[in-house]
Amino acid sequence: MGRVIGKRLFSIMALCAMVGLLLLPIVVVLPSLALGEEATAGGAKKEGATVEKGRDVYYKTEGVVVGAPAPKTTDGPKDYPRYNFESRVLLWFANQQHLYYGSFVLAVPIFCMIIEFMGVVTKDKALAKRYDQLAYDFIKISLTAYSLTAVLGGILIFTFLTLYPAFFSYLSSVFRPVMHIYALMFVAESGTLYIYYYGWDKMKEGFLKWIHLSMSVVLNIIGTLLMFLANSWIGFMMSPAGVDEQGRYLGNIWHVIHTALWNPLNLHRILGNMAFGGGVVAAYAAYKFLAAKTDEDRAHYDWMGYIAMALGVAFLIPLPFAGYWLMREVYAYRQQMGITLMGGLLAWLFIIQATMIGILFLSTNYYLWQAMGRMRGAEKYQRYIKYLVFLLACGYMVFITPHTMVMTPAELKAMGGQQHPVLGNYGVMSAKNGGINVIITTTVLSFVWYMRGNKVSTVSWAKFGNIFMGVFFTCAYFNIIGLAVYGYYIPANVRVGLSVPQVTTTLSCLFFMFALNSMMMKGAKQMGPIEWGKISARSQYALIMLATAFTWMMGLMGYIRSSVRLFWHVNEIMRDNSPWAYTHTVGFAANMISANVLFFWISILFVFWLGSLTAKKAPAEVKVAVPGSVPQPVGSH
Amino acid sequence: MAVLNNPIVAVIVSLIISVGYFLAVDHFMMDMQGLDFWYLFRQ
Repeated sequence: MGRVIGKRLFSIMALCAMVGLLLLPIVVVLPSLALGEEATAGGAKKEGATVEKGRDVYYKTEGVVVGAPAPKTTDGPKDYPRYNFESRVLLWFANQQHLYYGSFVLAVPIFCMIIEFMGVVTKDKALAKRYDQLAYDFIKISLTAYSLTAVLGGILIFTFLTLYPAFFSYLSSVFRPVMHIYALMFVAESGTLYIYYYGWDKMKEGFLKWIHLSMSVVLNIIGTLLMFLANSWIGFMMSPAGVDEQGRYLGNIWHVIHTALWNPLNLHRILGNMAFGGGVVAAYAAYKFLAAKTDEDRAHYDWMGYIAMALGVAFLIPLPFAGYWLMREVYAYRQQMGITLMGGLLAWLFIIQATMIGILFLSTNYYLWQAMGRMRGAEKYQRYIKYLVFLLACGYMVFITPHTMVMTPAELKAMGGQQHPVLGNYGVMSAKNGGINVIITTTVLSFVWYMRGNKVSTVSWAKFGNIFMGVFFTCAYFNIIGLAVYGYYIPANVRVGLSVPQVTTTLSCLFFMFALNSMMMKGAKQMGPIEWGKISARSQYALIMLATAFTWMMGLMGYIRSSVRLFWHVNEIMRDNSPWAYTHTVGFAANMISANVLFFWISILFVFWLGSLTAKKAPAEVKVAVPGSVPQPVGSH
Repeated sequence: MAVLNNPIVAVIVSLIISVGYFLAVDHFMMDMQGLDFWYLFRQ
């Protein structure tokens, strides 16, 4: 009894320590901020000098100038010291690797929180333990990657200091009031992560489990705040605020952080990180599945891969819409910036992006179709898959059609213009919006089929439910394609609004059909269990493909976002005068992204291998509780 | 409920609900943006 109370006390103390760590940076910064303001005012009074005021470039408010102007750099060893190599490429590499690992270690604890919560609330004890083990497996992978993230962060700072000292000095001077918060948040994140991980076994039941779960919430709050702070730097570089036109800091740190693009970037990065994290964990599970020696291991990793993929895709589906919001804000901030992105210098990179997005959805669908193979009763859907392939292929081909082609004069003449007489019609937003919405709706349909694969509805209105579902999906396709066609007949200022009803149609399918399916499948008759582990190897390669495409697309989008500043370190405030202030060719960028992806995957394989050295075996009781040779957490669907 | 399980009735009811719903989505989503979904038909 006394031991239990001691454990409880210890757990509550650990949770309090985490909350304390979370609040520490804020407590520490308050006096320093106040001191900073007093010092500025006091200094001005003492000297009797006139207080210089400046106007915020974005908020248009007046403020007291408290910072130095942005340095006017010149190409030389003072501002741009260098090795015999392109400094930008070195920084690109360091930044990208840090971002990959950073995204991974921020996303995985969120998965852990969700899975651990599912384990706590589920009534099936065997399933609860499997969820718990899965969450533990996830955090174990994350822990090794976390150390590497910190190392890469250090390398990134050294790269900045060594190769871009003037720029880094300016950026840190503007963000000085929150720089130490970032450092303290990092300490808090590390402390919380280690307590969370090492306290797992000690707090695995009852009240203590809830405390442990609360710790994961605190851990994720810290991680998310950390990311938001890092996002404020790139937001400032793209759409500066809180400084005057000379780049002088005006004393309001919230303006510097809360720039025009900060919130869209935050949302886009959260969703992107989650999708990426899901992809990487799914690839890990696929690798372990392919290397597994026993049926039991294959079943475990098959299940792990499925859960990771499902979580990743759940965040992938809203990702394009968050992307639209980001682009909309970019256009609202500087129309020219939007045109450079979508219709100018970087437009071709968006065609590549569309190709990658299509690959992500095709891989997901392919995996789901393969996964139906492990369910008895799902054969009835197999003959319809060819129609889904047709829809996906049509949507994909329209989605990747470029508006104009890069051609030689002879080719241009032969084709009769920049646009192909037939295919050119598909290279416009109206058609592309239709294409991607068809792809996403088809993915939703595949998911619905998967969820009901081995079940037969027993509700009295089952026949009506099935017919309604079929009609609703058919009408949704007609609506999406109809709106895309309609867009060709109305002016651009009306057409631009059609994307909203298209997206609403897709989301209606997602929410209403998932809800309807769940209602229909309540108490459904099972044709047979899901035979975890009995899935083709091809499906696992689809998961690896999914993860690789995520990684590649993340590198691509990062490059696009960064390149849109063109020859500015800080847009319209601090000019980049290094010899590398130009936009690379598409080919070079693609090679660079591929090199980054390759390095990331080689290094993460090393991390996986390290993780496997300390592999923790599943608790014995779990194995006992599962009937047959393969575990069957079917109730989860 | 038994009537709804008749395929013809089910299809008709489903069509009425789905078409009505999507037309409402088109109209109100455009209206929300200050745009006219029926632009072409009013010309």
